[in-house]
Amino acid sequence: MNKESLASRRQRSTTICAYVFLIPVIVLMAVFLFYPIVQTFINSFTSWNGISANKSFNGIYNWNKLLHDADFWKAFFNNIKIMILSLVIQMPIGILLATFLDTGGRKYNFFKVIWFLPLLMSSVAVGYLFHYVLATNGGIISGISQLFGGGVVDLLGSQTYALYAVIGVICWQFIPFYMVYYMAGYSSISEDLYEAAAIDGATRTQYIKKIALPMLVPTIKSAVVMSVVGSLKYFDLVYVMTNGGPGTSTELMATYMYKNSFVTYNMGYGSAIAAGMFILITAIATIIMKVMNTGGDD
Amino acid sequence: MKKRLSMLIAAAAMTGLMATQAMAAEEISFWDIATDEPDKTIWSWGVDQYNENDSEETGYTVNQVPTVNDQYKQKLAVAMASGECPDMYIHWTGGPMVEYIKSGYAKDITELFQKYGLDELYTDASIAQCTVDDKIYAIPVKNDSVAMFFYDKAMWEEKGYEVPTTISELEALCDKMVEDGITPFALANSAQWTGSMYYMYLVARYGGPEIISDAYDGTGSLVCDATIFAGEKIEEWVEKGYFPDGVNSLSPDNGDDRALLYTGAGMMLHGSWQVASIKSENPDFYENLGCFAFPTLEDSEADQSVVVGTMGDNFISFNCEDDKLEAAVKMASYYSTDEWMQLDIESGNLPPLKAATSEEPAWQDILAVLNDASAIQLWWDQYLPSAVADVHKSATQLLFDCSETPEKVAQMQQDALDEYFAENS
Repeated sequence: MNKESLASRRQRSTTICAYVFLIPVIVLMAVFLFYPIVQTFINSFTSWNGISANKSFNGIYNWNKLLHDADFWKAFFNNIKIMILSLVIQMPIGILLATFLDTGGRKYNFFKVIWFLPLLMSSVAVGYLFHYVLATNGGIISGISQLFGGGVVDLLGSQTYALYAVIGVICWQFIPFYMVYYMAGYSSISEDLYEAAAIDGATRTQYIKKIALPMLVPTIKSAVVMSVVGSLKYFDLVYVMTNGGPGTSTELMATYMYKNSFVTYNMGYGSAIAAGMFILITAIATIIMKVMNTGGDD
Repeated sequence: MKKRLSMLIAAAAMTGLMATQAMAAEEISFWDIATDEPDKTIWSWGVDQYNENDSEETGYTVNQVPTVNDQYKQKLAVAMASGECPDMYIHWTGGPMVEYIKSGYAKDITELFQKYGLDELYTDASIAQCTVDDKIYAIPVKNDSVAMFFYDKAMWEEKGYEVPTTISELEALCDKMVEDGITPFALANSAQWTGSMYYMYLVARYGGPEIISDAYDGTGSLVCDATIFAGEKIEEWVEKGYFPDGVNSLSPDNGDDRALLYTGAGMMLHGSWQVASIKSENPDFYENLGCFAFPTLEDSEADQSVVVGTMGDNFISFNCEDDKLEAAVKMASYYSTDEWMQLDIESGNLPPLKAATSEEPAWQDILAVLNDASAIQLWWDQYLPSAVADVHKSATQLLFDCSETPEKVAQMQQDALDEYFAENS
C-alpha cells in the first residue's frame, strides 16, 4: 500500500516535472507556430490589404481564385522542378563526396574544409555572388564565352534557362550540407563492421556497396524528406537572384506568396497561398515518407 | 500596443543616461530611406534643426530611422499590419498612399498645410500629387523626378551625334550607333520599372496621358493602338540591337545601367535622380552629362510635351494626432526652408518648391523640359494599384526579350485592372 503510493507519487512528480519543463517549448510553439498557422488559415478567408485594421470575410473567394490561378500552379511546378533536380543532383553528389572523405580520413581534411565553405555563406551573399558570376557585363561565364569567340551568355535573363541557373546555384550551396549529413551517417556505422568485413576478405568497394550504403539508408531517407520540404518552400536565392523574373519564369510558391502579401498588399490572398503551400507540402512529404517506408519493408 | 512600446522606450530612456532630465520629451518616430549620401545629409538636416530649435517648445523629439530603399516598402507594410506604424514615414504616393489612407495610417493635414503656409511654397503639381478627394495627405520632399535621356556630351560631340527631337530621328541615331559598335540604350531591366519607362513614354507619345488615366477610370482600355504601338516599337528596337545583351538580368540596383553609360553606351532613359547619383559617383563623367526629353512622335495628335515622372520623389505622411501631428508637420516644414533648399540643390536635386532653381548645368536641360511640359504623368507603377502595377512591370519585361506579343502584354495588364475593379467594386 505504502509502496504503491510512493510509486504513484513518484509518477505524479515526474509528470508534473515533465510538464514544467515542457511549458517553455509549448508556449513558444503555440505562439510562433500553431497560432500563425491557424491565423493564416483564418486570413485566407478574408479580403485584407495587410495594413488596415479592417478585415472583411469573403468566404472561399481566395481559395477559388487560388485553384484557378495559372501563375500559382506555374510556381508550384517550378517548385517541383527544383525538388526533382535537387534530389537527382544533390543526393548522389553528397553521398559521393561523403564516401570519398570517409574513405580518406584525415588525409582529406583540406577537401573537407573547401567543400564545406559554400554552406557557411549566407544565401543573400551567395545570390549576389552568382548574380555577378552570371552577369552579362563582366560576368565570368560571359567573359569565358567571349574569350573563345562566343557571344554573351545571359542565363538569368532567359525565361528558359533562368530557373536552371538558379537550381545550379542552389545545388552548389546545399551539396555541402548533405555531404556533412552523410558523413555523420557514415561515422555512426561501427568501425567493427569494417574490421569484420576486412577479416572476411571484403575489399573497400565491397564494404561500401554491401555494408556501408545499406546502413546509410535511414540517413538517406531523412535527407530526402528534408530536401523535398526545403525545395517546396524555397525562397531566398530566387528572391535575390531573379525575384521571380524574367516575367514569371522563376516564380516559386513562396516568392509568389511574398509578392501578394507584402508587395501588392493582398494579404488575404497571400494567406490563401501560404495555406495552400502548407497543405501541398504536407501532402507531398507524407506521400514520399509513406512510399519510402513501404519500400524499406520489402 | 503602441502605448506600451512608447512606455517601454520611455522607461528605457529614464533608466539610462537621460535619468538626470526631469521629464523626457515624447518621441516622434520618422522612417525614411536616407541610408546613403547625399540623402543622409539632406534628411537629417531637417530632423536636427527641429530637435535643436523646436523640441523643447513642442515637447516632442523626432527620432529618424533610415531603412535601405529595397526593403523599405515591405518593412513599412509589416509595421502597419502589426499596428506599429511610425508617426511619420516617407512613401511615393499613388496606389500605396491610397491604401495607407484607407487604412487610417495617413492623416488629413490640409489645415496644417495651410497653417504653415506650405501651399504657398510648393508647386501646384506636387501638391496635386499629395491630394486625394481635395484633402492633402502628404508633404512632398527632395526632388522633381522626371524620366529623361542622359548622355555623354563629349562622346556625342566626338562622334558627331546630334540630339534627336523625333522618334524617327532617335531611330536613325540608334542605327548609326549600332553601326559604330555602340549599344544605344543603357538599360538594366531586372527591376522591371526601368524598362517600363520606355513603354510609358511610347504609349504617351502615341495616345497621350489619357490612355492610362482612362483605363484606370474604367472608361478606356489598355488594349488599344497606343499600347500595341509601344510594344511593337520596343520589340523592334530589341531586334535591331538597341538594348544591351542580357537586358533583363542587368540590375539597376547594382548600378549596371550607369556602368554601361560610363563605359560608352549611347544614352540612358532614367529618372532625374540619376543626376545626384552620377555627381557623387563619377564627377568626371558628370562634367559632360547632358540630357534631353523623350523625342516626339510625328503625325501623332496626342500632346507631345507630356513628361513622365513625379513631383517630389519622396513624400512624408503622418500617423499621429493633435499636437503630436502638429509637431510632426512642423518638423517636415523644415524641408521647405530656403536653407534646406540650397542644401538639396547643391547635392544635385531640385526640390518641388516654387522658389527652387538650380545652377547645376545638368539641371538646366531638365528645367527647360519641365517648363515646357503641359502635364506630368505619374509613373504607371506608382499611379496604378500595387497589384496591377506588379503585372504591368512583369508583363512589359516580356517585351524586352520578345517572348510575348504586344497584344498579349496589353491584355495581361487590362486583365489585372479588370480583376482589381472586380475585387474593389
